[in-house]
Amino acid sequence: MRSLHAEWIKLWSVRSTWIALGVAAAFTVGLGLADTVSTVRGWDTMAAPDRAAFDPLGSAFAGLTFAQLALGVLGVLAITSEYSSGTIIPSLTAQPRRGVAFAAKAGMLLGTAAVIGQALAFGSYLLGQAVLHGKHLDAGLGTPGVLRAVVSAGLYLTVVTMVGFGLGAVLRHPASGTAALIAIVFLAYGAAKAVESWSYLPSKLLLSNAGDVVAQVHAVAAKPRLPSLGMAYLDLALYLTAALGLGAVRFRRDA
Amino acid sequence: MIEVQQLTKRYGPQTAVDSLTFSVRPGSVTGFLGPNGAGKSTTIRLLLALTTPTSGRALVNGRPYQTLREPLREAGALVDAAGLHGGRTAYRHLHWLAASNGLDRRRVDEVLDRAGLSSVAGRRVRGFSLGMRQRLGIAAALLGDPPTLILDEPVNGLDPEGVHWIRGLMRGLAAEGRTILVSSHLISELALAADRLVVLGGGRLLADETVEAFSDGYATLEDAYFARTAGAVAYRSDGAR
Repeated sequence: MRSLHAEWIKLWSVRSTWIALGVAAAFTVGLGLADTVSTVRGWDTMAAPDRAAFDPLGSAFAGLTFAQLALGVLGVLAITSEYSSGTIIPSLTAQPRRGVAFAAKAGMLLGTAAVIGQALAFGSYLLGQAVLHGKHLDAGLGTPGVLRAVVSAGLYLTVVTMVGFGLGAVLRHPASGTAALIAIVFLAYGAAKAVESWSYLPSKLLLSNAGDVVAQVHAVAAKPRLPSLGMAYLDLALYLTAALGLGAVRFRRDA
Repeated sequence: MIEVQQLTKRYGPQTAVDSLTFSVRPGSVTGFLGPNGAGKSTTIRLLLALTTPTSGRALVNGRPYQTLREPLREAGALVDAAGLHGGRTAYRHLHWLAASNGLDRRRVDEVLDRAGLSSVAGRRVRGFSLGMRQRLGIAAALLGDPPTLILDEPVNGLDPEGVHWIRGLMRGLAAEGRTILVSSHLISELALAADRLVVLGGGRLLADETVEAFSDGYATLEDAYFARTAGAVAYRSDGAR
C-alpha cells in the first residue's frame, strides 16, 4: 500500500502526466465532436451501403486514435523518466524488493489508465450520442453490444497505456520507448497489410485491429483480415501480459 | 553499522570489487577513499542492493539491504547526485519518499528545514543549482532519521557555506552515535571531517584505520594518500606524485 501511495504521488507530481491526459481528453472530445457532426451533416446525402455499415460509435470514437498515442506515451514516461532522471536509485533504495516496486508502479498506472480509459470512452460516447440524437442515429447503452463496445474502447486505451509502460520498462529510454510504441501501435498496421496476400495472421494479431474490433457495436465477421471478437479480446490479453511480463523480467536487472 | 564480508563483484572479465572485507563503526565519520575505478561506487551500490554481488555479503545494521522492510529508517543514502526528477518540486520528491516507507509527513518539513531548503520547497528541481540538489539529496537521506548514512560525494557542487554545513552535519550525526560512510575525492575535506578511513585501490582494501594512523609519517593526509595508493592508480600524470 505504501509503495502504491508513493507511486501515486510520483505520477501526479510531474507535469507530463497532466499534459498527456489533457491532450488525450482534448483530442477525444474535439475529434469525436467534429466527426459526429460531419456524419450528421452528410447523412441525408450518404449512399445506402454506407448507411447500412454505419456504426453509431465509430464517429464518436474518432478522437481515441490520438488519445491512445497520448496515453501510450504516458505509459512510456511513467517508467523511463525514472531512468532518465535517475530517480530509479531513490526508488529502489526506498523499496529494494524489485517485485514489489514493479508491481506498485504497474498497478498504480494500470488503475489510473483503467479509470481514464473508461472516462474517455464514456465521455466520447455520450458526446457523440448527443450529436447523433439530432438525426435519431443514437444508440442507447441498452442497445445490444453498445455497452460492451464502449467499455472495450476504454479497455483498449488501458492496454495501450500498459504496452507503453512495458516497452519503457524494457528499453529504459523515453525516445526509444516512444519509437517502439509508435511502431507497434501505428506502423505495424502497414507491415501486417504488406504480407496479407500470404497470411492474415499478422493483421489478426495487430493491437490496433483488435482495438477496432472490440470497440465496434456490430462484430465485423465479414472481414477475414480482422480478428473475430473473441480473438480480439485474446489479443488484448496477450499484449497486456507480454508488456507486464517482459517489463517485470527486465526490471529485476541492475538499474 | 556497515559490514562488508568477502564481497566480490565481477562485470564480465573485470573485477570491480575483489573479496573486500571491512566494517564501518557507529559513532564516527568514516571517509571512503580511492582513485577512480577503485570500486567505491560499486561497493556503495552493493551495500544498497542496487546491484547483486558475485559473492560475499554486504550488511546494513546486520542485515542485507534488500531484506529491510522500511529501509529509509535504517539507512539514508545519497548516490549519483540524488536522483531527482526536474519536473517535480523538492517537497513532492521528499513526500513520495516518505510515503514509500510510511514516514510521517512532518518529517518532510523537518528535513527541508534542516537542509535549509524550506523557502524553495515548492520549486521544481529543474531550477536548482548543483548545491541545492545535493542539499535535497541529503535531506532525503535524513528523512527516516536513520542510524546509518551512506553519502557518495556529498560535497560536490556545494558552496563554501554548504561544505561547512555538511561537515558540521556529519560530525553531529556521528556524535549522536550514527554510522557515517562518506566517499569523496576531496582529501583535504575528509582530513577535516573524518575520524577513520577505508581506502580502496583496484577493488581491494588498502587501508582501514584512523586518519592519524593512515597519515602517520607523512606531512599531510594527501601525501599519505598518494604514497599509499601509488600502486593502484590507473590514470596519473607526471604532475602528481
